[in-house]
Amino acid sequence: MSALPHVCGKRCRLFVAVLVLATAVPAAGQTTRPYVETLASEKFAGREAGSPGERLAGDYIAAQLARMGAKPLPGRSDMFVPFTFTAGSRDGGSRAIVGSTTFNTTKDVIALSFSDDGEVSAPLVFAGYGIVVPETQNFGYDSYATLDVMDKIVVVLRYFPEDADQQTRGILARYSDLRYKAMAARQHGAKAIVVVTGPRSPNAGQTVPMSFDTALAGSGIPAVSVSGAVASALFAGAPKTLQTVQQELDSGNPHVAGFALDKVTLSLKTALVRETQTGRNVVAYFPATSATTGVVKPWIAIGAHYDHLGLGRNGNSLAGKDETGKPHLGADDNASGSAAVLAIAAAIGKQPMRRRNLIVALWSAEEIGLVGSTAFVNAPPVPVDQLAAYLNFDMVGRMHDNKLAVQATGTSPIWSRVLERANVTAGFDLTLQEDPYQPTDVATFNQAGIPSLNFTTGAHVDYHKPSDTADKINYEDLDRVATLASTVVRRLMEMPDAPQFAKVAQSSQTAGRTGVRVFTGTVPDYTSNAKGLLLGGVVGGGPAEQAGLQKGDVIIEIAGQTIANIYDYTYALELLKIDQPVKVVYMRGTERRETTLTPGARR
Amino acid sequence: MALLVRRPTQLFVCFLGAALVAAGLLAAVEAQAPLAERAALAERDFLTRIRRLTVEGRRAGEGYWSKDGRQLVFQSEREPGNPFYQIYLMDMASGDVSRISPGIGKTTCSFINPETGDVLFASTHHDPRSKQLQEEELAFRASGKERRYSWDYDPEMELYVRSAKTGMLRRLTNKRGYDAEASYSPDGQWIVFSSTRQAYERQLSAAEQKQLETDPSYFAEIYIMRADADGSGPKRLTNVPGYDGGPFFSPDGKRIIWRRFDEAGLIADVRTMNLDGSNERQLTDFGAMSWAPYFHPSGQYVLFASNKLGFENFEVFMVDIDGKKEPVRVTYSDGFDGLPVPSPDGTQLAWTSSRAGGREGQIYLAQWNHQKALEAIKNAPPRKGPK
Repeated sequence: MSALPHVCGKRCRLFVAVLVLATAVPAAGQTTRPYVETLASEKFAGREAGSPGERLAGDYIAAQLARMGAKPLPGRSDMFVPFTFTAGSRDGGSRAIVGSTTFNTTKDVIALSFSDDGEVSAPLVFAGYGIVVPETQNFGYDSYATLDVMDKIVVVLRYFPEDADQQTRGILARYSDLRYKAMAARQHGAKAIVVVTGPRSPNAGQTVPMSFDTALAGSGIPAVSVSGAVASALFAGAPKTLQTVQQELDSGNPHVAGFALDKVTLSLKTALVRETQTGRNVVAYFPATSATTGVVKPWIAIGAHYDHLGLGRNGNSLAGKDETGKPHLGADDNASGSAAVLAIAAAIGKQPMRRRNLIVALWSAEEIGLVGSTAFVNAPPVPVDQLAAYLNFDMVGRMHDNKLAVQATGTSPIWSRVLERANVTAGFDLTLQEDPYQPTDVATFNQAGIPSLNFTTGAHVDYHKPSDTADKINYEDLDRVATLASTVVRRLMEMPDAPQFAKVAQSSQTAGRTGVRVFTGTVPDYTSNAKGLLLGGVVGGGPAEQAGLQKGDVIIEIAGQTIANIYDYTYALELLKIDQPVKVVYMRGTERRETTLTPGARR
Repeated sequence: MALLVRRPTQLFVCFLGAALVAAGLLAAVEAQAPLAERAALAERDFLTRIRRLTVEGRRAGEGYWSKDGRQLVFQSEREPGNPFYQIYLMDMASGDVSRISPGIGKTTCSFINPETGDVLFASTHHDPRSKQLQEEELAFRASGKERRYSWDYDPEMELYVRSAKTGMLRRLTNKRGYDAEASYSPDGQWIVFSSTRQAYERQLSAAEQKQLETDPSYFAEIYIMRADADGSGPKRLTNVPGYDGGPFFSPDGKRIIWRRFDEAGLIADVRTMNLDGSNERQLTDFGAMSWAPYFHPSGQYVLFASNKLGFENFEVFMVDIDGKKEPVRVTYSDGFDGLPVPSPDGTQLAWTSSRAGGREGQIYLAQWNHQKALEAIKNAPPRKGPK
């Protein structure tokens, strides 16, 4: 204000005074800071679902909610809503007998994480890459076109043809996921599938590590990967060596046919041990202050996941070599969202009037596939059709440049209006994204037909690393996010009608993305709607950093593909080859620059 | 060509219209756009805490402040069933937004009376074809076709004022021709506006008639009238072929600032004049489209928009009130940045921008660094002088 005293008359000064009063709040950052610092402390050891750290964190959250006056849900005696989930899988003694040789170490034979248990002895057929592109794609590629695999064991190569042109690779990559290959084999009548990492592929001759797969549904047939040694044994006496046939297949030519491996016999046994554990959602509510008879959909819910990656032993950790095994404290992911939810709960709890009941939910097992929120929606303590709206908070603690992204705004026509009005005083540089198919619990509620929103400040270089710590949180702006969301919650509570739900069509670009195996070390800024791909950061020592890219750069072209958004980028990644340099065109500020990036292999 | 023209004409009807579309020949403008004006200055020197203000609706623009800074009036396409702009008033303390215009027909260019709080705007809602035109436009958009949007300088466009006290609407003009782009004097006693009425008042030559059919804005001139007028006796202030529009008063009420297009409708420059049309002064000479000027409330400089750096890349610039210095660039973002309007206390800037991506503009708000602006203008080199 001091900049212009001479043009600022009496009315103007009055206005300033009013504004100052209206925005007088407790010292910046003081509301959310204690929650984040506690949840992201070493004591909770990264809050892995089902772990002692998760239990302690849940106890802490329940104590905070009780202190605020929140109640257990109707019909429940406490705030803990447990659920069981698959915490991981390990091989339980799979083996392959080729001719008279027995392979029984996991170095040679290991079940895929979605394998069925079973024992199979059957004739063998090599089916190339085992890829079937659906006819709807108008692109003819069917590894089974000339083969009869009924009641046989199928042997296929991992990944997709190595030397095909970029467009072909882009299409084939989408159908090269091992689950998809197993499904294709089963649909063609195969009794089992054996996967080999070809001699011309990255990780040549190695078995596929047991990946973390929470989906309980198996592939319907035994599915294993085998080593190069086993593959050699399987190809004994075959018409072509694996090396030769892979070279032919790698051109992308769809007419290179598979063949029977009829000189050997295979007896396969698969055994997979799935470990189940129990996680806990913490769910409480603030009852409406008056009877809700006549209120349309008298419940609303706010939520955030409080679990994180623990020591990062599962596949989701991005920890560097020097950090492996350290606790992933998850200050931003998602102590920040949990803190925002607690701050909103505290504000709403103090409110003398509430026309609707407010559910406050802190989810567990989000990191392994939205498991906690899904369990809640599948067995809802309150009928889901009585839920007027759901607000989710995931990674809201790293605000920069005042930018806040609100996702899933396409789930109701009221969101843009509600957000515009609440933001006039909150003052964020809002980005609205209609898409509700986000990798966070908002997707669960969208799926259940509930008007939903997700608030986020986006990914950063510490994402899924032990370095996501409480000292890096922007508490002042985190408090502001909670204040904005409290305004939205109040408006939702007071609305006589419930927001209308709108179904957003799932973009084919976000659906079923598979087969990305290259590593570029870029950290996209998901909050940006800018043209191109804005980098929220680069992974230290990764290919992007080595190429000279840095936070704030906007990639507009990679490998000849123009990049308009994150989807274009993800698609373009499928076309990259490990160790093959590509040109990257990017903007640094207003300057257009070029560099060469050499992708590495994702483990 | 259509592609080149589409963005600016879609974004802002009020100040820039058919002149552009009709022209379609922008090579001259583009050719002289050096890619980067590499100065030591950047957007953050002048604008901090940038944020998007309007969110609802397909697009919004032209935000103008009330005298106390508590309200902002703007146009936005957000009325269900009406694809055209309507006028909305935003309460900056509560965030409440209410529609001011009737909801029917086309509207544009609103302004708040500094004394009474009444809202002035242009509207066609009295046109009995309004609903039909809305439905036609909606059907066209639903068809998925794209066309070059052109502001049509609808001769049905008339000035209206909505009373802050009673909410009643009063019609201020009643002449065939486009009457719009109106604003109040600081004391609320006078209105300046742009009108094509002269083209409908006299017998046009055959060439002029053809001109009216292809580009009616050619006939737009600046007029001034009493705010309490009944529509009679506006005084014409400009008399030069080419589109004169977008007039506003200086903070002391002694000058009018506006922009004038050349006859071809390709190049526009910012000018000021006395209230009687005398003592004209040209402030810009980029040889590009420089328009949407607005005084900073200090009266020490003027903000405006120009596509000097590329036909679709409008940026906000500022220049001293005598136009003696080379204008200083304010915004540094892709797409459109224009229609800058400082808050009455001079500490904030509202403007229209497409920086979030896409083609459509929305209103943005930022803290304005007045001291830095003064410094930058002071340090700017002398202008080369009008051509």
